[in-house]
Amino acid sequence: MSALDSAPAEIMGMPRGRAVALTRWAIIVGAALALELYGRLFADPSFFQPLSAIARAWVNPIMSDERIVGALGMAVFEIALAYGLSIVVGAAIGMAIGGSNFARASFLPIVLLLYAIPQVSLMPLFVLVFGLGAASKIAFGFSHGVFPVIVNVVAGMRNTNPLHLRAMRSMGGTRADELRHVVFPNMVPSFFVGLRLAMTMTMLGVILAELYVSTGGIGYFTRVYAENYNPAPLFALIGSLAIIAVAFNSLVRVAERRLMPGRRPTARLNLSGARTK
Amino acid sequence: MPVDTAPDLADAAISIRGVTQRYAAAGAADGVLALDNISLDIRRGEFVCLLGPSGCGKSTLLNIVGGLFKPTSGEVLVGGRRVDGAPHPDEIAFVFQESTLFPWYTIIENFRIALKLRGVAKSEWDDRAMEALRAVGMASFARHYPNQLSVGMRQRVNMARGICVETNILLMDEPFAALDEQSRMVLGEDLSILLAKTGKTIVFVTHSLAEAVFLSDRIAVMTARPGRIKTIVDVNEPHPRAPDFMLAPRFGELRNDLFAMLREEIRVAMASQRDPVGGGVT
Repeated sequence: MSALDSAPAEIMGMPRGRAVALTRWAIIVGAALALELYGRLFADPSFFQPLSAIARAWVNPIMSDERIVGALGMAVFEIALAYGLSIVVGAAIGMAIGGSNFARASFLPIVLLLYAIPQVSLMPLFVLVFGLGAASKIAFGFSHGVFPVIVNVVAGMRNTNPLHLRAMRSMGGTRADELRHVVFPNMVPSFFVGLRLAMTMTMLGVILAELYVSTGGIGYFTRVYAENYNPAPLFALIGSLAIIAVAFNSLVRVAERRLMPGRRPTARLNLSGARTK
Repeated sequence: MPVDTAPDLADAAISIRGVTQRYAAAGAADGVLALDNISLDIRRGEFVCLLGPSGCGKSTLLNIVGGLFKPTSGEVLVGGRRVDGAPHPDEIAFVFQESTLFPWYTIIENFRIALKLRGVAKSEWDDRAMEALRAVGMASFARHYPNQLSVGMRQRVNMARGICVETNILLMDEPFAALDEQSRMVLGEDLSILLAKTGKTIVFVTHSLAEAVFLSDRIAVMTARPGRIKTIVDVNEPHPRAPDFMLAPRFGELRNDLFAMLREEIRVAMASQRDPVGGGVT
């Protein structure tokens, strides 16, 4: 971070921002060209095809087949619902657990234990309980998304500045005032870290469930294309999922920028999921 | 032996009587004695500093006076009313370090919360807040967030927040500790001027000798743990005090006297930090 901050204002005779944007685009265009060349010159067409063919497959069949567009829409719906449930339930459980030392000491280890279970191993159970349709995907996405929300809400409630609480009490504030004016606002950055992690995890859960068993969703079409050695529409479909993922992540970022109270440094997401300032 | 300059009781804004505080601690059967039988009467409109080595319990005493902690024994009367481990926001306002401003609210929003909790009518919040901010020269920063201001500016605002609730008593817990020496002195000067106008009773915890001499009417020097009142020094200098006071010979004498008294306590405190009470881990 400091290395970036101390970078010169100009790189190769242009403003830093433009140089960064140019570099990004150069990487993307370079990668696309490399894939195109690889697809045309070297690849086995039953495993990979050039980008131009993938783009054509995206227009037809992916975007022109009602069933596939419907399946993509269904995936968006499943992710959105699983995500919404993760936030609401995760925040409620997180606040209940984070609300007192007793509750945190009693329940958090159990939550962390559940969080640590590789959930893919429970997939058959989800299908048995929730069936082959959307319900099992939503449940599986929720089971992935809810934990990061809980853990980050608890963490956010925990690092309340004791001096803020004491100031609140000295002004005659009740426990409700403490929660409203100190604990909750203090929790918000950590909550958003949880939301971003939860977005990624929810999508992972829904897509895993789709791939595991699907009777007409994106998982079904993915399997059809893969098993028929038809890579162009397969990659086009995966590309559509990537676009959906980017769109959801942007939504969370916009929400964060709008809703974050106060002028504070935005919490950054690093690989360990911890908060940095 | 506790020193008690008993003024006329009707005059006492705060009366501390035989306050003792023990903390439970591992390895010490009956806990660690933090404050030992402290008695002190503080007159209305008086500025009293609690000065002592770190860990002597001066902040603990302040928190007991403010009703944030409950003493193990003894009592505190504020305006004749017994403080029983509960804050009296109608009588007492606290000023802590500048970091107690809520960073997620703008300055004016911080003030509104204090005024709301004090029971001030909503229509008066902004007028009262702006008045207090003007008094410390910070009115133009009402809509800023705390971390857009410098540490010194934040502490001005924080002081104003303590003043805007218009209590008779202000308790200040090392409010300038995070400031550099120069800002400390300037803020101290402003505080001295401000307080001469309001006539508030103030108890101020500090470990800065110069700050204590410059601001106080009386300085209660405390011993190393267990905290007792070692002696009380009268400053006898009218408020508001000009910065020239710091250059007066009397200022230097008082400060040197205080330092001589504190030095042995600081040595005791440092020795006990190397060898914690009861052999427990501190």
